[in-house]
This record gives sequence, C-alpha cells and structure tokens, in this order.
Amino acid sequence: MFLKSSFSCKAAVLLMVIFLILSLLVGCNGDTEGDATSNEAALENGEVETPKEPVIVILEGGDAGFPSPFGHLPRMRGTVMKYVFDSLLEPDEDQCIPWLAEKWEISEDGKTHDITIREGVKWHDGEKMTANDVVFSFQYYLEHPPVFIGEVITQSGYIQEIEAVNDYQVKIVTSEPNSTFYCEAGMLRIIPEHIWKDVDDPYGFTDEGSVIGCGPFILTDYSKEHGTYRYEAFEDYWGPKQRVDVIEMVPVSDEILAFEGGDISIARITTDLLGRFENNEEFFILESPALAGTMISFNMNKNDLFKKKEFRQAFTYSIDKEDIIQKIQRGAAKPGSPGILPIDHQWYNSNLQKYDYNPEKALELLKEAGVEGSLSFELLVSEGAEVRVGELLKEQLAKVNIDLTVVAVDNQSRDARANEGNYEIAILSMGAWGLDADYLRTRYYSELEEGAGGSATGILGSDQGYVNPEVDRLCEDQLKETDREKRKQIIYNLQEVLAEDCPEIPLYNNYYIYVFRPDEYDGWTFMFDHAVMTHAKLSFLEK
Amino acid sequence: MKNAGWTSRIMEYILTFMVIITLNFMLPRMMPGDPFLHLSAEGGEEVWAFTAEQRQYFLEYYGLDRPLPEQYVRYVTGLVQGDMGMSYYYKEDVSSIIMRRLPWTLMIVSGATFLSLFLGIVLGSFSAFNRESWKDKSLYLTMIVFSEIPAFLLGIVLLIIFAAGMGLFPLAGAMSHFANYTGWEQIKDVLHHAALPIVTLAMARAGGIYLLVRNTFTTVMGKDYIRTARAKGLSKGRIRYYHALRNALLPLVTRIALQMGAMVGGAVLVENVFAYPGLGRLMREAVFVRDYPLLQGIFLVLAFGVLGANLLADLLYKVLDPRTRGQE
Repeated sequence: MFLKSSFSCKAAVLLMVIFLILSLLVGCNGDTEGDATSNEAALENGEVETPKEPVIVILEGGDAGFPSPFGHLPRMRGTVMKYVFDSLLEPDEDQCIPWLAEKWEISEDGKTHDITIREGVKWHDGEKMTANDVVFSFQYYLEHPPVFIGEVITQSGYIQEIEAVNDYQVKIVTSEPNSTFYCEAGMLRIIPEHIWKDVDDPYGFTDEGSVIGCGPFILTDYSKEHGTYRYEAFEDYWGPKQRVDVIEMVPVSDEILAFEGGDISIARITTDLLGRFENNEEFFILESPALAGTMISFNMNKNDLFKKKEFRQAFTYSIDKEDIIQKIQRGAAKPGSPGILPIDHQWYNSNLQKYDYNPEKALELLKEAGVEGSLSFELLVSEGAEVRVGELLKEQLAKVNIDLTVVAVDNQSRDARANEGNYEIAILSMGAWGLDADYLRTRYYSELEEGAGGSATGILGSDQGYVNPEVDRLCEDQLKETDREKRKQIIYNLQEVLAEDCPEIPLYNNYYIYVFRPDEYDGWTFMFDHAVMTHAKLSFLEK
Repeated sequence: MKNAGWTSRIMEYILTFMVIITLNFMLPRMMPGDPFLHLSAEGGEEVWAFTAEQRQYFLEYYGLDRPLPEQYVRYVTGLVQGDMGMSYYYKEDVSSIIMRRLPWTLMIVSGATFLSLFLGIVLGSFSAFNRESWKDKSLYLTMIVFSEIPAFLLGIVLLIIFAAGMGLFPLAGAMSHFANYTGWEQIKDVLHHAALPIVTLAMARAGGIYLLVRNTFTTVMGKDYIRTARAKGLSKGRIRYYHALRNALLPLVTRIALQMGAMVGGAVLVENVFAYPGLGRLMREAVFVRDYPLLQGIFLVLAFGVLGANLLADLLYKVLDPRTRGQE
C-alpha cells in the first residue's frame, strides 16, 4: 500500500521532469529557426545590389588574437589580420606575386630596391594609400616590431635608407645583398600613416582605427573569449574582386561533426574518413601540398659515431619510409627527401642520391664506419604519432643490430631537452617545411654564432655538432644571390650535398586532405609555402 | 570558546590559502619547457619558433631568468596588491582575461550543481521509499553506471547523439554568433548552448548525491521521531517532505561543498569537449603555451571558488543544524 501510492506520487514528479525537458527541447527547436531568419536579416544590411545570395564562408575559429599586426597571436600565422591588411607582395601557388607593389626592381649589386606602388588603393576609411604609408610602415615596425617580422629587416643597420621618391615610388637601400629580403619585406603589412602616426603603444591599440587596412575584407565583429571573427568584403578594394561576401569564424568542438552539420564550410579529414565523402557529388576532396613533416635528428656532440657520414647513411638505408607512411599516416604523406626540402617545396631537387630501404647496404656501411657488433641508442620522441614512429623505427633498426630505446615525453619536455642538447637521437614533427629555402642555412650553417666558430643548430635549434665547409659556402652564396634562377641552382647544389651527408633524416612529409561542398563555395587555393587553404587570402578572391 | 573556534577556523583557511598560492606558483614552473620555447605545435598548426636571442630577451623581460625565490616574492607582492600579472601569450592583464571567461564557467557549474541536486534528491528519495524493490535496484544500477563514466566521455556521447545526430542542440560555443539577439531571445540562446554541458556535468555528478540521499533518507525514515509523526497520524507527504526531508538534506550541504572540486574539474573537461569559452578551455590553452601568470590566475580563482564553497557550507551548516551551534 505504502509502496504503491508513493510510486504514483513519484511518478508524477518524474513525469514533470520529463515534461520540463521536453518543453526545453521544443523551445530550442523554435530557437534554431529564429537563428536562421535573423542571420538573413543581418545579411540584408550588407551590399546586396543584385538579387544574388551573398556567399558566406564559415571557418573554424578560436581566438587568434586581436586582428592587427601587433595584436594577433602566433596561432594561424596571423591570418585573422591578413584578411584586413595587404602587403607589398602576396604568395600564390608558385611564388610571391606583386600585390600593393606593382613593380619591384633590385639593382645589380643587390642593395637598392626600387618599388613602384599601385595607384588607386584606398584604406577602409576612404583615404588614399601612397608611398608615404609604405615608408611609414617600415619605419614604424623598426621602432615597434610587430608580432612577426623577418630577421633580416630588423638586423641593425641592414636597412640604410628608406624613402618615398614620389607618391608611388619607394626606394630602399640596404647594407648588403640578401636574397630573403624581397619576400620578407614583401610580407610586411602596410598600415595607414594617418592613423598610426599618433599611436605610441601599438600593442594596446585596439580602437576602431587599429583594424583599418587596405585589404579585401573589413573586420565587422571580433570576440576574444568566444574566438569568433566576422569579415565583410570591402567594396572599394583595389584588387581582384572578392568571391566571398562574408567570412565568419566560429568555435568548433569537432571539425567533422561541424562540417557535416553545416556549421563550417570546409574541414580537414583523415584518410580513414575518405570513404564518407568520396564518390559523392555533394563533396569535393582536395589534397594540400605535403609541407608538414617528421624527421630524425642526431646530436653529434653526444656521440662521435654520429659525426661519421657512413653511419648516418647506414641509418638512412635502414629505414623503410613507405612502411612508416602506410602505418602511421595511413598513406597521407610523401617520403622525406634526403636533401631536406620536401618533394612539394618549390625548389625541391628530385635528382638526388637515393636511399631505398636496404638493410644489407646499411650493414656494409656500418662496417665501413668501424662498427662491430650491436649498437644501442636512446630515441627521444614526443606524443601521439611520434611514439608510433619511434616503435616502428625500433623494429626496423633492429635488423641492422641497432637497438633503440624509445623515450616518449610530452611536446614541451621534448622541446626543452632538445634545446639543452639533452638527447642522442630525436624525432621531431613540425610544419612550415614550405618556407623560403634559406631555412637550410639557419639549420646547417656552422658559423651562425659570429666568432664562436660554432656548429650547425639543426632542426632542434641547439648546437648539434654538424660541420661541413661546403654546406657553409653554399649557404652563404645563396643568401647573397639575388637572381632567382641562379639562387635556385645553388639551393639545388646544396640539396645534393645534404643528401649525400644526411645530417638529419626527413622521414615523411604529410599533406592535409580537405573536404568541402563545391555548390556552396569552391574557390579554395594554396600558397606555395603553406598548405592551409583557409589561410590563403587568394582563396577568397577571383583568380 | 566561541571566538577561539572561529579563530582556528580562520587560521586554517589562511594556511590553506598560503599553501595554494605556493603550489600555484610552483606547479606551472615544475612542468618541463618554458613559455618561449616551442618547436612543435598542436594539431598540425604551425607556429613561429623564437630564436635563441628572442627567447633570452623575453625570459629577461618577464623576469624568468631570476632565481625562483625572487620570482615568488614578486608574485606574492603582486597578488597582495591585487595584481595577477600579465599573460605572456595574450599580452593582456590576467585578471581581465579571467573575468571574461569566469561567468561562463560559473554558469555551467552552478547550473549543473542545481540540476544534479534536483535529480539526486528526486531520484534518491524515490529509491529510498522503494527500497529493495526492482525500481530501486534498477535505478541504483543506472546511477552507479552514470557516475562512473568520466564527464568528458559522457559529453562526447551526448554531443554525438543530441547535437550531431538529432540536431537538437548546437555543436559548440556558448551562444549564436553574429545574430543580434536581445532580451529573452538571448537568454534562450545562451541556455540552449549551455544545456548539453550542464546536463553532462550534472549527470556525471548526480550519482553521488543520489546515493547520499538514498542512504540518509533510509536512515532518517527509521528514526523514532518519524515513527512518532506517523503515530500522530500525519500524512505521508508531510512526514516525508517536512520531517524527513529536512533532516535528510543536512549532509547534502557538506557534500555539495566537497563536491565543488570535482565539479570544477569536470567543468574543465566538459568545456573542452563543447568548445565552451570558460576557464577550463582557457586553462588548456594556457598549459599548452606554458603561460605561467595565466595558469596561476586560473588556479587561484578555481581554488578560491572551491574554498569559498567550503566556507559557505560551514556557515550554512550552522544555520541549518542548531546542534552544531551549541557546540562551539
């Protein structure tokens, strides 16, 4: 009796709870509809002269900082401010192309740069952009370095003279020729003098004026805590017409779920998910260039054996790169080149010494290096895929009597140990393999520290004990050579020497697989030096 | 007598607080790596690595090259003056970064606390009144199972079923962006986004409350005064919800306070599942970039919250249970 009546009473309470939850759900359903209509209403305020629907592209957001050259975070390469601010040059799929600079002439001796600035460029507030703004931007950046600026530009005394010859002509004189200056200077964001000339603290400057650029998009909304951004096409843009009217960045919990639910316009997928989108007209799948990668690094100061070329070659012959690519990257990678620059690098030299998987050859070379019996080393790896790469390497190297002990730590610990030189052999995964080939110099040039007579720092940034005078010479030569074709030839030679020497062993370069709905938007493109399509300004402009 | 009790209580809190501040300072610095050393980046993202010179410059600029005791003194002096420092990564005042994020965490934590309380009490008393029946047993099993599932896992399951599968809830974030909602519309929108995180957190936490309510209710129902009440011929409703409930709920007050730590811990994970802009998500970012001042600030605020909840429980208990008042 007691039990029975209490049940009915409790049941009533439970029913109430269910009712409450249901009513909440119903309320929510209505809500999503309201969402859609108000979105449309908001868009009608935009510039819709023709009856055509505005093109909206929605990207994965997350806070990447205040979108000014001084406020953005290291994440996303400053993309959030690059939509708003233009630079003298812009990377397309092949190289840096003229952008705000119509013409860029470099003198015979490589020291004088005559830059013709495009006419008819307007700032978002309607003012005219002139050579004075360009000169001002350079001078301002030298005093207040933005988040990122090429090292060559800030080198003391490197820029000796910078002046506006007339309204559309800038002349820069430098102390010596440097092949990286053109692109580095070309990537600097030009800021309006009439706004920034009175700003003393650019890092704290977040007024409306701080996001006035002359780029294709105007920032209309930014929320730091939500990590959201919204941009609208700038009507008076000087350059190629925008194919996208609105770019939005929103927080995303899971990229694939968000893409399938229509929350974002493009997503990066893994090979395992290909089946879901392949052979379906609704989707288009695009592979990026393989410009991220994983490599092996030797600390030659720890073990003299590492200094022997034969040993490093033997190590290279013992590695079955294809096997690693299939097992770890599920095929979504290309084998690393022994010349370091990846296959998809604009200056990749395909004609290099080959190191096909060959344990017998490796054993021969080890003998040449004076190795008798077995060897054992510690292999430092970081989290995730690197651990599995390490285990595979252990298996492969065991066949040539090299025993690897895999030590797995978190990213930061690995970085710290690498920086202190506290490792024997390490694996490192990182992006930015597509950058200017001068990174070969920053890694393998042995006299980076002036007067110290030091050795190369390698990929890990610490002194790794690698010295090769020929590499040094080629590194110097390519830096001074301002003729693009000649420099390319030097870089090709440099790769040949490195491929023979194997100071570090690139295992693979992985690519990203993108999926999007071509019906919604299909303008996606890459930059020659960077594989993330959503970071390419040209993805949103007419070709 | 009464004053002495309070003084020792206050001393206890002060001591706890000092320990927390010290741990706050030490823990981030005990992690390997430093804020200006990144070779690798998360999830295929690309970062610019600092050169050795830049790194040295920043270490000096932020005083990280100084001996630890000196840094500690600076930290504590700053705190006393109400200065939590400047975030290395965001280049902004730690306090203002935290203040923007805190309300979101407060909302889901308090929402989940209330929801878990509600569920725990309703289901717990239901179980207690149906003790040993199949209803009690099956409910008991269900609640145990749910309370053992980690909050983030539960969150992923709910996300896949209710947000991705059925489309009833948004997939991420705390509000609809770029939509100009006002008033009631906006409240509804925020609640709609908070629903899944709150439910996740509440489900993961309701089990504990359920068990406590179920047990205390059973104990209370066997007490003499309940028998007296029944003998007086009071209605079942009055006995249960007036006489029994009041006494059964007392241990809950302590329980909620003690659970605050776990609740906040759960919120950190849940926020990351739902890309919810609270302190938990901020903490994850701060850990990744080794942003010491920001980490210290977040830990401090969270510790403050948990300690505050404990203090509140102490006080509330005295109000609710007259017996404890006489003792001191």
